[in-house]
Amino acid sequence: MIDIFKELEEVTVEQYEHQDLPKWLADPVLKVARSPELYQGKEYLVEILAAQVREYDVYAEAGCCKWAYDHEDIKRTLRWLEE
Amino acid sequence: MAIYLDCNATTPVEPSVRAVVMRFLEKDFGNAASPIHDYGVFALAAVEHARGQVAEVVKARRDEVVFTSGATESNNMAILGLAEEGIRSGRRHLITTAIEHKAVLEPCEEMARLGFEVQILPVGADGRFEPQRLADALRPDTLMVSTMQVNNETGVLQPLTEVAEILANRDIWWHVDAAQGFGKEFEQIRHPRIDLTSISGHKIYGPKGVGALVARKQDRQFPPLRPLMFGGGQEQGLRPGTLPVHIIAGLGEAAKLAVRNNCERTEKCRAFRAQALAAFSALGAQRNGAENYTLPHVLNVSLPGINSDLAIKALKNVIAISSTSACTSHTHTPSHVLAAMGVSPEKVEQSIRLSWCHMTPSVDWSEVENILRSLRR
Repeated sequence: MIDIFKELEEVTVEQYEHQDLPKWLADPVLKVARSPELYQGKEYLVEILAAQVREYDVYAEAGCCKWAYDHEDIKRTLRWLEE
Repeated sequence: MAIYLDCNATTPVEPSVRAVVMRFLEKDFGNAASPIHDYGVFALAAVEHARGQVAEVVKARRDEVVFTSGATESNNMAILGLAEEGIRSGRRHLITTAIEHKAVLEPCEEMARLGFEVQILPVGADGRFEPQRLADALRPDTLMVSTMQVNNETGVLQPLTEVAEILANRDIWWHVDAAQGFGKEFEQIRHPRIDLTSISGHKIYGPKGVGALVARKQDRQFPPLRPLMFGGGQEQGLRPGTLPVHIIAGLGEAAKLAVRNNCERTEKCRAFRAQALAAFSALGAQRNGAENYTLPHVLNVSLPGINSDLAIKALKNVIAISSTSACTSHTHTPSHVLAAMGVSPEKVEQSIRLSWCHMTPSVDWSEVENILRSLRR
C-alpha cells in the first residue's frame, strides 16, 4: 500500500523546490506529511491535500473557470485536518 | 451462497469505497452546488477530488470529466449529444460495430430515426472488428465513430490503437464505450485521439448509479455536445441535477484503486482464469473470442451438448453465472455478439459467460465439472 503521507511529502517538496508553492504554505503541509501519527483516520483529507498541492497554481482563480487549486483551498484543507 | 462469477454484470464493492460512500451519505452530506459553508465546500472538494481520480485512469484532465448516472447515460450523451452538430455541419454518417452494447446500438437507432445513416461494421470469429473495414467505411460526411474498448460478453479487447491511427488528422468524433475495460486495460484507453469515453462505477468495484463521460478538449474546447437534460447548469452545462456526492466520491475511490492495484488484481484474475480454463477444457468447451485478446477476468465458452439455461440453473448453488449481458439476459434474447461473430445458433444456446475479480474466492471446479457432465447423460 502506498503511504499517502510519503506521497504528500514528495509532492510538496517538488512543488516548493521546483514550482510556485510558497514556503509559508509548504511548511504546514510538510508538518502534516511528517506527522502521520497525528492524522490517523484522516487519510481521505490527506489525499485531497496531496491532490491540491500537486495541482497548485498561484493563478488558479484567474480566468473564467477554476481548474487548479490555490492557497485558499490548501489552507482550508489544513484547517479541516485540525478539526 | 453460490460463488459470484458475474462480475461483468456488476462487481462487488471495495471496502474502502463503501467507507467513502457512507461518509458522504451520513456525516458529510452537503450539496456541492452550495459552497457557501463548510458542508458545501467539503462536498465540492470531494467531487473535484473524485474528478481528478477518474481523469488519472485515462490520463485526461480533471475538467474533461463529466459525471453521469453511468455508462448508458454517457453513451447516450456522446451519441445523441452530437446530433445537432451533425445536422449543423451536414454530416449525417455514423459508424459503429455489431458487437456494441445496446446502450450504444439503441442511441444509434435513434440517430437513424432522426435522419442519420448508421453503418454497422461486422466482426470476425475472434470477436474483434477489422480496422481496415473501418478505414474503408469513412466518408467525407462521417460525423462519428463509436467503438467499444472491451466486449462485455466475450471480454475481447478491440483494436483501438489501430483506430487511433486511422482517425488521426481526421475531423471525425470518436467515442469509446469503456464500460467493461475502464480501470482494467490502460494502454489503449489513454490514447489522446479518443474524444469521448464512457465509463461506469459499478464495473470497477464502485457504486451503481454513477459513471462519467470523459470529453477530451481539443484546442481547449469541449466536443460540441448538446445536453440531453436541462435545468441547473451543473457539470459544465452538460448534465444538470444535484450531484450525488456520496457515489461520485465512491467512484473516485474505485478509480484510484484501479490504478494503484492493477498489477495485483490482474495476477489474481490470471490465476483464477487458468483454473477455470482447465475445468472447461476438460469438458470439451469451445472458447468464444480470441484468447490472446481476452482480458483475464472473463471466459465465454460454448458447452457441447449442454443448454446454457440448464447449465446456469444446475450450477446455481455452486457458481452464479450468466449466458449473455446483464442488460439482455432477462429478455432471453440470443446473444447478438456471438451471432455477429458467426457462432452457430446451436452454440449460442450452449454459451455461458463467467467473469470474476480479485475478490472472488476459490471455486470447487471438480464439483462444477461433475454437475455439467451429469447434464449430458
